[in-house]
Amino acid sequence: MGRAMVNAEAEHSTLACRAGHAFSSFRDGDSAAMADLVAMLTPILWHTVRAQRLDAASAEDVLQTTWLALVKSADKIADPRSVLQWLIVTARREAWRVSRGQARQTPQELFDDDIVSTEESPENLVLRSDTDQVLWAHIAALPDRCRELLRVIAFSDRPDYAQLARSLGMPVGSIGPTRGRCLAKLRLSLTTDARWEPR
Amino acid sequence: MTTPESEPWNALAAEPMDSVDGAVMAQIATLYTAIDPVPADLVERLQFALTLDALNAELAELQQLDAMAARGVDADQTKTLTFTSESLTTMVTITPAGPDRLRIDGWCAPGSGLVVELRQVNSSVEVDTDSDGRFVFADVAHGLTRFVIRVAQSAGRTPVITPAVEL
Repeated sequence: MGRAMVNAEAEHSTLACRAGHAFSSFRDGDSAAMADLVAMLTPILWHTVRAQRLDAASAEDVLQTTWLALVKSADKIADPRSVLQWLIVTARREAWRVSRGQARQTPQELFDDDIVSTEESPENLVLRSDTDQVLWAHIAALPDRCRELLRVIAFSDRPDYAQLARSLGMPVGSIGPTRGRCLAKLRLSLTTDARWEPR
Repeated sequence: MTTPESEPWNALAAEPMDSVDGAVMAQIATLYTAIDPVPADLVERLQFALTLDALNAELAELQQLDAMAARGVDADQTKTLTFTSESLTTMVTITPAGPDRLRIDGWCAPGSGLVVELRQVNSSVEVDTDSDGRFVFADVAHGLTRFVIRVAQSAGRTPVITPAVEL
């Protein structure tokens, strides 16, 4: 069995590749494939947009705009396998545009790495398990950019991490194939917390 | 001065990910799914927005003030929604009309000679506007709804389509 086949199997197993296949089918005339693509990618795109501190209603509008943009640009995307990256970049840009419009009164907030947004503050959360509570405490202590990165990337598969990190505007090496700075910080702070148990 | 090498996480950052990292990433996804779940029906609403005829339309926007009301859960109140697009403004007032039914009074501007289609997930009803641009749907079910507005007998004109709102 050749290397190419192993690679092909590995590729099919990641979110980005499954998305690429569905998008190819859509471009080849299978209109139902778009519905599959939406179902497949809505979680990761939702968290991409919500990490930009948009309220839920605005986040929905941003996602709708993003998908309409995809359909309009469908023929211009050179490589269908890059469709997930394209969607993340587009959703993030649109979320940024909308949140900048909304945040005129407190523009500083967008740039302040230390503020945990009210949407995410732990007292508003119902965390079901101790594991979640401990994990949340450590995630909340990360810089905003790391929190955004891990939040979005967590909804993909490991072979996609490096590419998706670039789509999120993070430098090469932010995550994948090595741990990178954000996950290393989180890992270090978790492993020094006696309450945390790796599963 | 702090150099990158002196950071305690620096060595960890350069290592390949292991199974514990995999478990941490899975826990992060579980955590965010719990604290900020994808809204119910969002996938359905997005799929609906991408149907073929929706894509060939002029997209109207729900005015922001109304948007909160439209997405609210207060189903027993009369509410008014305004949709705007480049060529058209459409206002609809939704009133409870008997058990589980709604009446919709609407107005388009500029509005004469239009056909308004009320589209729900499994149904579609059309009415004409009067000379003032008014229209009525007297008996409407609750559910995800959008309006498609066309110029009567004008096949070439782009229809206006509103976002889907939960009635």
